[in-house]
Amino acid sequence: MTSQSCVSIRKELDIVGARQLGRDITKEVGFGLVDQARVTTAISELARNIYLYADEGEICCEALDYTNKKGIRITASDQGKGIEDVAKVMQDGYSTSGGLGAGLPGVKRLMDEFDLQTEVGKGSVISAVKWLR
Amino acid sequence: MNLTIDTEQEHDRTVLFLSGELDIYTAPNLKEKLVPLVEQKDAMVEIDMDEVNYMDSTGIGVFIHALKTAKQSGSKMKLTNLQEKTMRLFEITGLDEVLDINSSIRGGN
Amino acid sequence: MTNNSAKEQYQILLQEYIETKDEKYLYRAEKLSKSLLRDHTLPEEIVHLHNEALAKIDPTLSQEVKDSMAFLLETMISYGLAHQEFQTLRDEQIMLKSEISVAASMQETLLATEKPEIEGLDIGVISVPAHQMNGDYHHFIKANDGSLGVGIADVVGKGVPAALCMSMIKYSIDSLPELSMSPKAILSNLNRVVERNVDASMFITMFYAQYMPKDCTLQFASAGHEPGLHYHHDGDYFTEITTKGMVLGVLPEGKYEEDQVVIESGDMVVFLTDGVTECRKDGRFLEMNEVLDVIKMFKHLPAQEQVNEVFKYFERLQGFQLRDDFTLIILKKDV
Repeated sequence: MTSQSCVSIRKELDIVGARQLGRDITKEVGFGLVDQARVTTAISELARNIYLYADEGEICCEALDYTNKKGIRITASDQGKGIEDVAKVMQDGYSTSGGLGAGLPGVKRLMDEFDLQTEVGKGSVISAVKWLR
Repeated sequence: MNLTIDTEQEHDRTVLFLSGELDIYTAPNLKEKLVPLVEQKDAMVEIDMDEVNYMDSTGIGVFIHALKTAKQSGSKMKLTNLQEKTMRLFEITGLDEVLDINSSIRGGN
Repeated sequence: MTNNSAKEQYQILLQEYIETKDEKYLYRAEKLSKSLLRDHTLPEEIVHLHNEALAKIDPTLSQEVKDSMAFLLETMISYGLAHQEFQTLRDEQIMLKSEISVAASMQETLLATEKPEIEGLDIGVISVPAHQMNGDYHHFIKANDGSLGVGIADVVGKGVPAALCMSMIKYSIDSLPELSMSPKAILSNLNRVVERNVDASMFITMFYAQYMPKDCTLQFASAGHEPGLHYHHDGDYFTEITTKGMVLGVLPEGKYEEDQVVIESGDMVVFLTDGVTECRKDGRFLEMNEVLDVIKMFKHLPAQEQVNEVFKYFERLQGFQLRDDFTLIILKKDV
C-alpha cells in the first residue's frame, strides 16, 4: 500500500486540484478511461460539497494494492455543520432536483464502496473505494 | 393551464390580479401568496378575479383557507369582478354568504 | 456492462456503415442500442465503445480525435448518473403505484354501500375515480320505516388525501343515530365533524336526500353540492332541486335548510358530482342542458344500465381520461 495524498478545499479552484490528484492516481493504478472519468467525477462531487457547505475540508486519495486486487480510496473530510438527515441526502432526486448535481447517491453509484460518518456540529467523513476490474 | 398573479400596493391595501386558470395545479401558488398576506393583522387584501376563466374546487379551498386565516388575524379580504361561472361556484357552495364578494359590476371597481 | 460481443458487433456495424452508408446498418445500430439499454449500458460506456472501435478501424487516428473522445466521455458521466437515478425512481414509482392500488381496493371494501331494494323504485349508481383512489362518496341507507336515505359527497381535490377524508365521512355517518334523522340534521352533524378534523383548505360538498315511499316525497338538503335534478315524466322536463347551504368544514355551526318534492310515476331523480357537470369537450365545458340531454337519451333503460351508458358516453367524450372523480345516481319511480 502506498501513502495517501491530500488536497485541501477552500475555493472552487481547489476542486480542480483534487480532480487532478485523483486522475493521476487512477492512471497509476491502471484504470481505463471510463473508470477514470467516474472516479474523477465522484471526487468533484465530494469536493464541491465541501466547498459549498463546509467552507473547509480536504480530499485524500490513496492507491490500494492488495495481492488479489487494486483500487483507489477517496476520503473527504470536513469540520462543517455535519449532516442532520442522512437518509434525506442519500435519497434520489433530492440534490438533483435543486440542480446541485449528482450528490451523494451519485458518488455511491460511481464507486464500488461507500461509507459516511457524520456528526451534527462537528463535520463529516465520507470514504469511497473503486476497484480495478 | 397557467395562473399569473400580479400584486399591486394601493395605500393600505394589497390587490392581487389573477389571470388564467385556478385549479389543482395553480392553487398552491395562490395559497403561497394569499395566506401570508391575510395573516397580517388588519391587512386589507383585494383579489381581482376578472381574468380568471376557470376555477375548480381546489381554488375554492384556497379562499376558505384564507377566510379562516383572516378571521383569526383580523384582516379583511375581498373578491371582485368575478366571471359568471366562477360566481356560480361561490353561490353553489354557499360561500357567497361568508365571503365579501363584489361581482355586480364586472370590469369596474 | 458492455460485453465482448457487443463490442465486436459495434465495431463491425460501424465499419460496414462507414464503408457502405447503408441504412440497414443504422437500423441494426438502433437494435444494438436497445439491447445495450436493456443491459443498463451507460452513455460513457457507449462513447468508450465508439472510441475503441474507431481506433481499430483506423489505426492512424490522430491524437486530437482520441483526446476529443476522452473529453466527450467525461461530459457523458452526468448523463449516465441521471439515467441510473431515473431507473431507481421508476422502480420506486412502480412500488408506490402498487401500494396505492392496494389502498384503493381497501377503500373500495371499506366504503362499499349496498344498493337497497325499495318497492316501486329503480336505483342506478356509478362511481369512478379519475385516478386510483376516489374522492367521491355515496351511500344508501334503508331505514326501519321503509324510507331510503341517499347521500352523495365530493371532497375537494382528488387522490389519496381526498380518499382518506372520505373514510372519515363514512364512519361519521355510520356513527350517527340511525333513527330517521332528517337530511338537514345529518348535514349539520357531519359539518361539525369535518370542521374539527380537516385541513384549513379542505372541504366537502354533500347532498343528502330521503325518499318516503308511502307518500312519494323526497326530502333533501344540500351542503354546497351540485343541485340534484328532478325529471318530470309529465311534461318531459327537468327542474333543479337544491337548498342553500354552506359546504361542510367551513363554519363550526352550519345551519342547513330542507325542502321536499313529490315524485310522480315515471319521474326520475338524478344526483351527481362535478366530475359529471365539468366534463370537457374539445377544450370547453359541457353546458348543463347538454348533460341533461345525455341523461335523457338513455332514459328508456333500467336505472343501472342508464348510469352505465351515461358514464360510457362521457368517458368517450373526454378521450377516456377522466379529469375528476365521476359519480352519478339515478332513482326512477316505476310507471
